[in-house]
Amino acid sequence: MTLAFSLPPPTDSPLSRLDPRWKLAALSIAAAVTATLQTLSVAVAACAGALFLAVLARLPGRWFLQRLGAASLFVALFALPLPWMLLDDGMSWSLGCLRVSRHGVQVALLLAVKAIALLTMFLTLQATAPLETNLKAAHALRIPSLFVQLGLLSYRYIFVLADELRRLRIALRVRGYRRGMNRHNYRTAGHVAGTLLVRGYERAERVGQAMRCRGFNGQFRSLKKFSTRPVDVLVFVLVAASAAALLVWDRYLELTP
Amino acid sequence: MSFEIAIQARDLTFAYPGGAPALSGVSFDVAAGESVGLVGPNGAGKTSLFLCLSGVLQARGGALSVGGLDPRDPSQRRHLPSQVGIVFQNSDDQLFNATVFDDVAFGPLNLELPPHEVRQRVDEALARVGLTGMEERVPFHLSGGEKRRVALAGVLAMRPSILLLDEPSMYLDPRGRRELIRLLHSLGGTRMIASHDLELILQTCQRVLLLDGGRSIADGPAQTVLADATLMEAHGLEVPYRLRGAAR
Repeated sequence: MTLAFSLPPPTDSPLSRLDPRWKLAALSIAAAVTATLQTLSVAVAACAGALFLAVLARLPGRWFLQRLGAASLFVALFALPLPWMLLDDGMSWSLGCLRVSRHGVQVALLLAVKAIALLTMFLTLQATAPLETNLKAAHALRIPSLFVQLGLLSYRYIFVLADELRRLRIALRVRGYRRGMNRHNYRTAGHVAGTLLVRGYERAERVGQAMRCRGFNGQFRSLKKFSTRPVDVLVFVLVAASAAALLVWDRYLELTP
Repeated sequence: MSFEIAIQARDLTFAYPGGAPALSGVSFDVAAGESVGLVGPNGAGKTSLFLCLSGVLQARGGALSVGGLDPRDPSQRRHLPSQVGIVFQNSDDQLFNATVFDDVAFGPLNLELPPHEVRQRVDEALARVGLTGMEERVPFHLSGGEKRRVALAGVLAMRPSILLLDEPSMYLDPRGRRELIRLLHSLGGTRMIASHDLELILQTCQRVLLLDGGRSIADGPAQTVLADATLMEAHGLEVPYRLRGAAR
């Protein structure tokens, strides 16, 4: 289970050689713009741009597709019902007793394409620098210490909580528990979730104590030194300008009937 | 003959909110450079005592001085991490950074040391625990013994004069335990070791403090206290194997 959260070893690519601060800033702008797009054709262009970055970053294909596939299933839960739910006076098709609206299909596609683009940018960021480097870059970009540490600790303790869950599942299985869809199963799942929460809370207490014992006072400190080269600025400008162009295109298309 | 006192506790009392007293009138002295074992059954108050000594928990009554500082005084408590190092029972509670280097550097960075000194201390601490070359490893992918050593390196990098080790041999296999004992022998300074592993206590501590129900029951040479079969049995412990012949 924890393998799903494992990061690939950073790849050697033009993107992994960039200053993480500029890369993070560029991808954050691109992601923010992508999230606000309202036109399908522009979202497809943003997605193509994100996939181009993924190719430049030389993402491990299997690792990328596995994560994309898992995320797509989640997005499908929201996107698939939309053609039936967003009915309007516009064009629609009938499938037996069901009516499918063109507007609904467009919104579902827009949602799916934007989700793929955003996930691709996120995975590109993950694969081109270790997590702690990205978090330190975020801190260097004036993201508050609290959020940086939350990110670091959340990632760290996913593995510990996943281990706890694994132990709980084994404990259930050796006492004859089998998965099913009845009241006993639901109640057991609730108890397991509650136990995990309590254990997580207790562990958080102990981690906090351990941090204070080593002089922690809420400040995020790091020895990491970043240095900017002209190519870092150039890539940032290119990505930011492309994002701005997409935004203008999106707003123009939206205003044009 | 006079000794410099590293830890002085007088009538120390502590209770968790809504609970029975975890520590009740505990008094003891630890001389600088002394190695003291802290033994007792589960719930005896060993971990609570360590947390009070390190300033995490605030003892309610009595007097306490650790390395010349009062852990209950907020202004003095800020200086405790450079004086007192504590290695927790479960290393997973103590290793929270993404690499071994970052984890060991966490304490020295909090002491606001210059970067070159932080690097020097990290290298030195990792060398002392035999983990040189593992700086870029991810702590949560290490074995139990390696995690324990990284946790210890994180504390050693702060160069504390007093070291508190809570169940240091827990989760260690026999080889890891042997390495730990060797490592403990090589460390100087004042040490308190809380453990159910009485063989380890016998091998690493000259003196033993027995706690039960938050009270100090016995305080004396390890060979004498641990060999007292009646005392050990009365407090849920057993005479270590190598003292069985000498047990009364």
